[in-house]
Amino acid sequence: MLAAVATTLRRWPIVGRQSELEVFEKALRSGEHTGLVIHGRPGVGKTRLADECRQWAAVSGYPTERVVGSRTTALLPLGAVVALLPAGLSEPGHDGQLDTVALFEQTRRALHERHQGRQLVIVADDAALLDAASLALLGYLAAQETIFLIATVRTGEPVPDLLAGVWRDGRMERIDLDDLSRTHLDTLLHLALGGPIEAGAGREFWEATRGNPLYVHELVRGALGSGALVERSGVWHLEDRLPSTARLQDLVEQRIAGLSAQARSIVELLALCQPLELGYLETIAPAGVLESLEQAGLVTIAIADQEIRLAHPLHGRVVRAAMPRLRARTILLAQADRLAAASPDPGPATLRIALWRLDAGGRLDPAILMRGAHLARYAHDFRVVRRLIEAIPGDQLDAVGALLLGEALYELGDFDAAERVLARGQQLPGSEPVALRLAVTRAKNAQWGLCLPKAALAINAAARAVITSPQLAEELVADEASVLTFSGYPDQALAVLERIAGGDRRTRVVRAIAGSPALALVGRTAEAIRAAETGFADHVALGDELAIAHPAMHVVNQVFALTEAGRLAEAEQLVRAGADTVASHRVPIAQIFFAANRGRVAILQGRIATARRYYAEAAGLAEANRFAGPRWLALSGLALACATLGDAPAAAQALEERGAGPSFGFREPEQYLADAWTALVSRRPAEAERHLREAAAQAASTGHRTAESWLLHDLVRTSARDASARLRELADACDSPLMTARARHAVALLTRDARELAAAAGDFEALGAMLLAAEATAGAAEAFSRAGARREAAAALRRSSILAAICEGAVTPGLLHVGAAVPLSGREREIVLLAAQGMASKDIAERLYLSVRTVNNHLQHAYTKLGVNSRAGLAQALRSGS
Amino acid sequence: MTPEQLALVQSSYQRLGTRLPAMASRFYQELFSRDPALRALFTTDMTEQQVRFALKLTEIVQAMPHLDELLGHTRALGARHVGYGVHAADYQTVGAALLAALAAVLGDDFDAMTHEAWATAYNLMAETMLEGAASARPIGS
Repeated sequence: MLAAVATTLRRWPIVGRQSELEVFEKALRSGEHTGLVIHGRPGVGKTRLADECRQWAAVSGYPTERVVGSRTTALLPLGAVVALLPAGLSEPGHDGQLDTVALFEQTRRALHERHQGRQLVIVADDAALLDAASLALLGYLAAQETIFLIATVRTGEPVPDLLAGVWRDGRMERIDLDDLSRTHLDTLLHLALGGPIEAGAGREFWEATRGNPLYVHELVRGALGSGALVERSGVWHLEDRLPSTARLQDLVEQRIAGLSAQARSIVELLALCQPLELGYLETIAPAGVLESLEQAGLVTIAIADQEIRLAHPLHGRVVRAAMPRLRARTILLAQADRLAAASPDPGPATLRIALWRLDAGGRLDPAILMRGAHLARYAHDFRVVRRLIEAIPGDQLDAVGALLLGEALYELGDFDAAERVLARGQQLPGSEPVALRLAVTRAKNAQWGLCLPKAALAINAAARAVITSPQLAEELVADEASVLTFSGYPDQALAVLERIAGGDRRTRVVRAIAGSPALALVGRTAEAIRAAETGFADHVALGDELAIAHPAMHVVNQVFALTEAGRLAEAEQLVRAGADTVASHRVPIAQIFFAANRGRVAILQGRIATARRYYAEAAGLAEANRFAGPRWLALSGLALACATLGDAPAAAQALEERGAGPSFGFREPEQYLADAWTALVSRRPAEAERHLREAAAQAASTGHRTAESWLLHDLVRTSARDASARLRELADACDSPLMTARARHAVALLTRDARELAAAAGDFEALGAMLLAAEATAGAAEAFSRAGARREAAAALRRSSILAAICEGAVTPGLLHVGAAVPLSGREREIVLLAAQGMASKDIAERLYLSVRTVNNHLQHAYTKLGVNSRAGLAQALRSGS
Repeated sequence: MTPEQLALVQSSYQRLGTRLPAMASRFYQELFSRDPALRALFTTDMTEQQVRFALKLTEIVQAMPHLDELLGHTRALGARHVGYGVHAADYQTVGAALLAALAAVLGDDFDAMTHEAWATAYNLMAETMLEGAASARPIGS
């Protein structure tokens, strides 16, 4: 009966969207696209267009489905895509991991079978509100061409990360919807009302809505309902003024408030549990209520699916916001009970029931909560992991649950709670792989979260004592090495790694994470770079696993190794690319290390102001994510950069902030550069010297050879003490040209050998270490002048002042006698260095995404500052060696 | 549309009188100068095509005050045009050509009000034709 009524009613027309429909049809048929993203402001008609596309697909013989994100569906991973899931729930494996890829693949196969291989067209309305696991599944299915995805995204909201991949590959078409033009609005009114409208009324609708289709819909339906809009002899007139609200939401609220109690209860039911079966609603709604709701444009009836839902997401939001919590709870629990009674078998219904019970604050089957937690973990949604597992009664939490919760607490920065949960998890029965992961995660929390490396080593040792599987034992050995590397004992770490014979892939990954930085720290940089590269490849092949660092950490390690090898330009390029990648992945620890390494590379390149900026960013990120150890590193770098810029108060301030937290063993000796330079810039040279000597001794005793070289070289730079013999020894023991250049510089400084100083400057410049090049050149100028070589002295002095100018305002003892050239800005420096290599302005503009005019402007400014008047003069002044 | 616009469209159309064939001829001239590629869509003799166009336009203008009657014409017409290979974007070109042809033949009579009335009327025709086109497309797939 209702179906007959529904089809005879005039549908609300869709106007001005035919080109967009054609875009969809073409994308679907061409096979080149696997989805469509519809962007637009609220009410512009994204939902309607998406549904229109879906309907067209259905009529054309495609199977179709519709999912929608909401507060309720976001409670449980995959909550929004219940309708797609196959029956039967996957269980975690022996190692406590849920094989998410297998679950996705199972879903793909089930859909393929269910629809006999035809592509399923899915509308994902308000895609930004979908939970992360649902998005990951949709992205997977779209990439496999199992589905064609139509996603709506509000203007200003980003395309969700997990879909962005497919979108960036150009495999998703994009449509931007705008409000209707005045002419289209006139057509819409004409078609909706079925006849002409009086001119003043038409204008009033235009002025109230400015062509926003949902606004028009709500206003027209409201005015028809209230009798403000009436037809007289074939023409529509406004008898009353339109409601004078500027907010769409108010309008919807007014309309909902005008409903009868019976109609309202149906709308509330749909707002919480939609879509619902038509057959069921017909049994509970009094005759005529559903019809009147459809006529009022508040609900949509899909005859093909025999389902009813609210016409627009905004209707649901307004109703839910106004509903008392207790009433919502009653409705949700009643619906959950109804569905549970109707579908006794486990299957997709189980998840819907779980969602409703969860939303109502009711008790849930721990198995469902655990499964949800696994899926959320897969999508790195640690907040959801925490909420789901904390909903499991304490006495029912098993070892795997403790592992997931402990890891989530660690990731969320609640280190004390993580320690409690993980320690308890180790008391619970579980398989060996689970026991191993509990131990590894607990040790990681102790080291990185609580800053207690000794406790971490004790946890590791206790686990090694009881483990029986040789493979897992090897992983624990690799993990012991990791604790040693990251708490300041690279020599010991490398000795421990010798105990590992081959190891499975997981062990190799852990070994690379510990081994690469250890190798770099002891000055075996070529091996360190290789270890980072193969570690990354192994990690990618391994996939995302529990209790292991993020794959990006190998890239961090490679950047560090390249820096230690003196390959500064490569390090800079890699760190920039890496930082861009992790920024969108929400991996705080990698973001912190990328920012800190950017600062470190910049310091060595002599881009001191840039370094200050990145270190400040790293410190801020570490603070926000409560990583005390990395914060210690970042604040040390910040103090060093500030001191090098001559900003004593800022340097002291950074050190004071650093002192408020615990110290951190990883690369600890190097961090005292900050103390030394801060003392120096505060005119306490004796203290500076003491810091450098003590830190160098600490570095020597723990195997930090690259750091020892830096510290001793700075001792020579700032105090004219002799450390050249040890610097030479270190350079010979290691494979870093940066260390070799430092040793050469130290000897030349001591002997005041002008030619050797100039040669060292050439070495530094070739490595891109511009501050050191500037200082060595200044030293050469002084030595030439002492030797009476006036012409060479003048040339060297000139070159040193240009080199100093590109160091962004560095003020060091080695630059004391250099003429005060005006420092270049970061951008000017970048352009000058490219121009000095002979690159044309056009090519520079292309590389830096600037206009040629801007490049030339920067060059002119730089020439003026440097006192040269041409590119040739610039190249000559900067040419290395003499 | 407003009742005044409906009246204006009908009265201006009537004023074409014997100049209707000239307007039809001018319409195709305007259309092909805007998009020469559209010429390939017409396989019949152009004189005959102009007559057909004038007859159909007359029917539509007469039906315009009664929406159901208008839809009867435009939806079917839109559905037919799918088969001719006409796309949504072409409707804009057609609209511009029609307004230009009317302006050229009616001269001073085609004032701003009349122009606006025709633009609104054409949008109504085009949207309903496109609606007919959309429901016709899947059948051919």
